[in-house]
Amino acid sequence: MKIPLSYNLRNLAVRRTTTIMTAFGIGLTVAVLAASMSLTAGLREAFRASGHPLQLILMREGSGAELSSQVSRESFNEVIRYRPGIAKLKSGEPAASLELVNTINLPSKESPDGMNLTNRGILPEGVAMREDFTMVRGRWFEFGKREVVVGSDVASRYPDAGLGRTIRFGRGEWLVVGVFDTPFPARKSEVIGDANQMLQDFQRGSLFSSVLVRAEDEVAMQALTNSLSAEQRLQLDVLTEREYYERQSSSGNLIQYVGTFVAIIMAVGSMFAAMNTMYAAVARRSKEIGTLRVLGFSRRSILTSFFIESMILAVLGGVAGLLLVLPLNGLTTGIGADATFAEIAFQLRVTPEVALTSMIFALIVGAAGGLLPAFGAARKQILTALRDM
Amino acid sequence: MRFLPLIFKNALRNRRRSFLTISSLALSICLLGVLTALYAALFHSSPPPGQELRLVTRHKVSITNVMPTWYKERIRAVPGVKEVIIWQWFGGWYKTEERDRQYFFPRMAAEADRLFAVYPEWEIPEDQKRAFQADQTGCIVGADLAKAQGFKIGDRINIRGSFFPVNLELTVRGIYHSPHESDSLWFQFKYLEQGFESLGWPNFAGTFTMLAESPEAIPGIIRAVDAMFANAEAPTKTETEYAFGLSFLAFLGNVKMILLSICGAVTFTILLVAANTMAMSVRERVREVGVLKTLGFTQEKILGILLGESMAISLIGAGIGLVMAQGLCVMLRQAPPIVQQTKTLTIEPAVLAILIGVSLLLGVASCIVPAWSAARTSILDALRFTD
Amino acid sequence: MSEATGAAAEVIIRTRKLTKEFARDSFRVVALKDVDLDVKRGEFIALMGPSGSGKSTLLHLAAAMDRPTGGTIEVLGQDIGAMGESAVARWRNRHIGFVFQSFNLIPVLTAFENVELPLKLTHLKKGERDQHARTALRLVGLDDRMHHYPKQLSGGQEQRVAIARAIVTDPDILLCDEPTGNLDAKSAQEVLTLLKRLNEEYGKTVLMVTHDPHAAHFARTIRYLDKGELLPEGQAPEDWRTPEPHA
Repeated sequence: MKIPLSYNLRNLAVRRTTTIMTAFGIGLTVAVLAASMSLTAGLREAFRASGHPLQLILMREGSGAELSSQVSRESFNEVIRYRPGIAKLKSGEPAASLELVNTINLPSKESPDGMNLTNRGILPEGVAMREDFTMVRGRWFEFGKREVVVGSDVASRYPDAGLGRTIRFGRGEWLVVGVFDTPFPARKSEVIGDANQMLQDFQRGSLFSSVLVRAEDEVAMQALTNSLSAEQRLQLDVLTEREYYERQSSSGNLIQYVGTFVAIIMAVGSMFAAMNTMYAAVARRSKEIGTLRVLGFSRRSILTSFFIESMILAVLGGVAGLLLVLPLNGLTTGIGADATFAEIAFQLRVTPEVALTSMIFALIVGAAGGLLPAFGAARKQILTALRDM
Repeated sequence: MRFLPLIFKNALRNRRRSFLTISSLALSICLLGVLTALYAALFHSSPPPGQELRLVTRHKVSITNVMPTWYKERIRAVPGVKEVIIWQWFGGWYKTEERDRQYFFPRMAAEADRLFAVYPEWEIPEDQKRAFQADQTGCIVGADLAKAQGFKIGDRINIRGSFFPVNLELTVRGIYHSPHESDSLWFQFKYLEQGFESLGWPNFAGTFTMLAESPEAIPGIIRAVDAMFANAEAPTKTETEYAFGLSFLAFLGNVKMILLSICGAVTFTILLVAANTMAMSVRERVREVGVLKTLGFTQEKILGILLGESMAISLIGAGIGLVMAQGLCVMLRQAPPIVQQTKTLTIEPAVLAILIGVSLLLGVASCIVPAWSAARTSILDALRFTD
Repeated sequence: MSEATGAAAEVIIRTRKLTKEFARDSFRVVALKDVDLDVKRGEFIALMGPSGSGKSTLLHLAAAMDRPTGGTIEVLGQDIGAMGESAVARWRNRHIGFVFQSFNLIPVLTAFENVELPLKLTHLKKGERDQHARTALRLVGLDDRMHHYPKQLSGGQEQRVAIARAIVTDPDILLCDEPTGNLDAKSAQEVLTLLKRLNEEYGKTVLMVTHDPHAAHFARTIRYLDKGELLPEGQAPEDWRTPEPHA
């Protein structure tokens, strides 16, 4: 025989204040966990989604990031560019782009002292390979001019980098002639211009940073990876674009560790609080428990009933926590990408996984907090229960 | 206060509840303590002695952008600058090319002839110092690093270049002790310059590290150096070495905001837990409030006794929590440091005072509503009250 | 204003047309109606009457635990209806000892600490408080139970501790609300004997509410309340069983 759920709901409603406080305590714990998870989820999404499935990034062996890699124009032309298996552009040229990566500093809304951004110099192949780019405002830069285009995240987060503004880096000023958008989040944080112009500014001679290559198909991609990795004239690391960006998201790990650690400690605290509340509920209803037993409810139904009540508290808490975190969904923030010393903008994501994990977390807290008091209630002797209070 | 015994006995009236509440508070306050200590260490600490006179000039954009070496002589001429050296972060790979914490340690090139003038607090035997300066491929390692990696004088250390495509073959010539940082490897900038020459690269400097004559001279130096190069090809940013170390934190995102929001959430949770307990505890005792009133206790005294109880619970929780927090701080010191500031992490007296103050305030805030309404209940209502 | 006090004894509780009405939901209940009562120093009065007759209300009004809705009540020459909240609290501590039906000891305090509690509101030093509390406990015959907690005491013992707590500040008036209501016959006998002794040997004025005729017989005077009205001295309600004389 089951004790009806409405009995628990009414009791929770009668003890409104305690119910709200306990649920909210669980809610805050869930919120901390959910916030840190949505940060990492957003970061992962930003990086994971940033790679073309058939593109490879070539860097000097051991450099780990484009910024610390060097590839010269000569070795690009001689060793990489005309490899078989590289897809062809509309122009008939191989889809291989020699790129120059630097870091520049711009003041942003969040940090007026300036944040670092990735600045990329590309050649005509580079422009051609960026078919996913759409110019939301303005146009592409022209080669031979001190012009740049900026990603939509840059334009919105850095007031000085809007369309028509000039920004200072390298040896002088650059005119922002276009704002581009791309489905690849990590690339929205870049400032892109003519690589040859930038080489001069950064005194790089003919030393570029990395090469972006598009394979004809997956088989060709594997073959290219093998042959380029084995190339003796150049010691190269060959990574798929996806692998590369996923590695960059590792600086989010620390945040997730810290967030989880904090959430777990808070969870133990909330569990104790939930236990308190449930023990009080049991004590207060001691007589009722006796009466229910006399009416014929079994110990098991008493146990279940109190346990369910604690789970209802947990669900309320979980929902409260998620409601607290929900406004963060889609919030854009920046984080330093590992090893590139440049900022990548990304959006916090309260994904279904985040919501589910948080809810489960809340239920664990509720279960842990409710079990002992529920057992206590079920163990009560009828007569002692009736005599209590 | 004559009512202290009563307050303490009341606080422990329901053992299980008090235990649960105090444990919950202790955990939260422990967390709050560590976070506050971290915040204080990162954003409100002052450099340890020996470091407060050191400044670092880097490219305004980032340390991966470089400056011409001739900046050094211009900086040396700035009033208040006692000594300046070129200091170049090298990075590279030791033993492995994986991201392996085990083999990760800072590797820096610096001008050996003046290095010890800029780091006067280092302790290193005179003969080791000279042996290092005399050997172009020599290096010195910090005592902590030597211990961690088992480096001894005479050991060969090979570092593969990454950012700089130069491979180093170094010999350990000395081991230095520093009161705040001794886990780095230093080698001669000349050796790196040779590598650049063989690559056909121009000479450049990653950072300049300088020693100021006095703390008063520091703001002037910062202004003068940055103004001097404001319109040059490589604009600079000069800051204290201490602040320079902190700038690496920026790559973790808005650390300040993250810390503050977690602290806020934790504090609010404490408030809820304590308020919930006190509400239950006061409710159970409304009848007793009536009895106390019959004995002649005024509303104010009863309010004081109830608030005192809540503050006592908060204080006990805070005491346990802060001890645990200090323990965690000591553990965190052992963790791989991101910034130097965490290596001496501790609950400073100021942090201690703030947290005790906060917990007292929380004690009052969590209890004031139920306590006030209980104290104001008329005697007869209180005596008749059933929960 | 107190009028000429009797030569024999000072009137310490004087009520005139004392009335108390409660608003219960939409209708009014008259608990006390035009009660005129004089209690002289050294008296031991039992207030009797069926439940709802207003006897407890009268006691509460005398302890300033409640305020009258009409008439006046002077205790020790002071109009207690006119005193402020804190003044009443101090006054109560000084002049009134209250004994409850359900003892109402503080469970976390020992017998001794319970008795000492009201003294903490006075300016007495620790040593003096100790001495007073001991004396009071000795008087109620519980000096050997001083460090027991209420739950370690029997009901009768608890009530005696409560009486010790009530008299420890040497109040002028002892107000007892059904002091034997929760006790077995033997304990009740002990408690009543104690009250009687306090009245006779120590001259305490005792005003006791009870519905137990046996208990009432320990008092020197019995007064009856019926439907909120105080019956003239010596008169009992018609349907009231006349208590047998105390042996």
